[in-house]
Amino acid sequence: MIPVLVTSAAAVTGLGESLDETWRRLLQGESAIAPVTRFDTSVYQSRLASCIPGLSRGGEETLLTPLLERLFEGFPDLPAEIRLLLATTKGGIDVLERQRRGEAVRLEALLPETTLAAVAGRFGLKESGVNINAACASSTIAVARGAALIASGFAETVLVCCLDLVSEFVFSGFSALRALSPEPSRPFDRERAGLTLGEGAAALVLMSPGAARRCGRLPLGRVLGWGVANDATHITAPARDGCGLILAVRQALAKAELCPGAVSAISAHGTGTVYNDLMELTAFATVFGAHRVPIHSAKGAIGHTLGAAGGIEVALGFKALAAAIVPPTVGFQTPEAGAEEIVKSQAVSFAGDVLLTTNSGFGGVNAALLLGKGEAA
Amino acid sequence: MKASISGIGWITAAGFGQGRGTGDFAMTDGALPEIARKDFFADPFPRFGRLDEFSRLGLSAIALALGDAGLDQWEEKRNFGLIAASAYGCLTTDIAYFDTVLADGGALASPNLFAYTLANCVLGEAAIRFGLTGPGFVVNETAASRLTSLVMALESLFWGECDVLVAGVCDLPFPLETTGIAPVAPGALFLVLTKDSSPDEKRSSPLLGLDGRGDLEIDGVPVRDWTEVARASLAPAASGGKMSAVNS
Repeated sequence: MIPVLVTSAAAVTGLGESLDETWRRLLQGESAIAPVTRFDTSVYQSRLASCIPGLSRGGEETLLTPLLERLFEGFPDLPAEIRLLLATTKGGIDVLERQRRGEAVRLEALLPETTLAAVAGRFGLKESGVNINAACASSTIAVARGAALIASGFAETVLVCCLDLVSEFVFSGFSALRALSPEPSRPFDRERAGLTLGEGAAALVLMSPGAARRCGRLPLGRVLGWGVANDATHITAPARDGCGLILAVRQALAKAELCPGAVSAISAHGTGTVYNDLMELTAFATVFGAHRVPIHSAKGAIGHTLGAAGGIEVALGFKALAAAIVPPTVGFQTPEAGAEEIVKSQAVSFAGDVLLTTNSGFGGVNAALLLGKGEAA
Repeated sequence: MKASISGIGWITAAGFGQGRGTGDFAMTDGALPEIARKDFFADPFPRFGRLDEFSRLGLSAIALALGDAGLDQWEEKRNFGLIAASAYGCLTTDIAYFDTVLADGGALASPNLFAYTLANCVLGEAAIRFGLTGPGFVVNETAASRLTSLVMALESLFWGECDVLVAGVCDLPFPLETTGIAPVAPGALFLVLTKDSSPDEKRSSPLLGLDGRGDLEIDGVPVRDWTEVARASLAPAASGGKMSAVNS
């Protein structure tokens, strides 16, 4: 298997215009969750989300355009012959909202292919790639797919780009499902009451060692293993026994040829819903047994960024590996049974060089990635 | 990278069907046939009534394909993957859902419709119905052929990610009036693919693979769109393929 290096990472979240700023503020235990001003939330279960400050359409059709501009500001140039894997669940859903309200819009902007073309055009890519839609595991699966392409020698360089917006469409839907927390979400807390939505984007460049050498890039880290599996039990709820997540994590460990004891930290999906967090604790207990691995969730700080969550959490995962610090789980106070001592509201240092990051979503999807420490982080 | 096509099922404006030797295939503009549960599932399957139109279309075509392959019955969950190409995904459901939001300022937004506003939920329904635990996702692409999902399916089989991969395309008609978007023909077509390891003389199923330039071919015949994929897959096998036409 050809080693899979990650040589560039960028992220824009409610906490920061850059990955560095997001990481710095996350480490300080800050949260970007605040009252939503983009639309009226008065009839919904929550008033809160993590929105990117100052993100506005201007003359554009969709907020995705300025979000991509911010994401790629200062991003290094890329070879023209690379694979592009986009990951978004609802893409330009803001365009559909406006269309249904009777505004004149350019409908192309709501299709993922338009975003694909925009990213490909930004870097002058020869191929415009594909968008992967697998709910909240979309970008995790995109990274897994990109890693498999590199590992098998099918590609030398892969750009994974993920993004999703806070929209009334999604906000109202999770409210209708009674899944939004009235207060900022509290992942793995016994008193958690649901998720808080967020928006964000991330870009990751995966390269073979040969491509990295030719481009003069040092690795931020490595993707060591990956796995994707379906619960095959329910459309919106996770399998209570964590069967799909267990399978995905075990696939990732097998791919990386690692035993559970090699994992030093976990970046969990950790949405703050009752059932997701319980499912994850069950799955991790099954896989890791007596090996109590520190777990954190970024979603109490940046909200649940849907299809972008996996990519953002990979970018943060490399920061965590470089600093040997598990960031705080913002909002966490009283541990859910099984989270005692392994989930913390403060940053904690850890020894080791392998981090597991996982995401799960509607449709029963689960995805797991094992990340390894790099040289340049 | 090669895979045997062990099952095929489709629903298009021209009708629905499964299996080889069923005559010509067409994926053209026009109204899709009504998708009634009894035409695709022998049991009462009460969940079917809750599905959105996109999921009914995709799930029914997947059922036809798995039925054709003899893989629609199961007792233990199986490591089968699911990949679907779609230009518009669940846009029809998105509109239906958001109209429930606008109807009463959001207070009466439909949770059931919202649950189907993710395009991959059709694959989730198939996973539940048929006990499929492999990787699954929906692909949107700009390529005119819309066949990238088939290449990705071949890759997944080659990498050993799953034992069987159900790959295809699923689209409802574009639900809005527009002049700016090139239309794609509505319908769903799914193939059941298994990694090919049998010698040619023992193989009776069509073989999907890549030619020397990386383009898709079936039994050596280049395929450039889903209609060509279906026609090449449906061509009668020299050694006699399965025959199980339904209303096509």
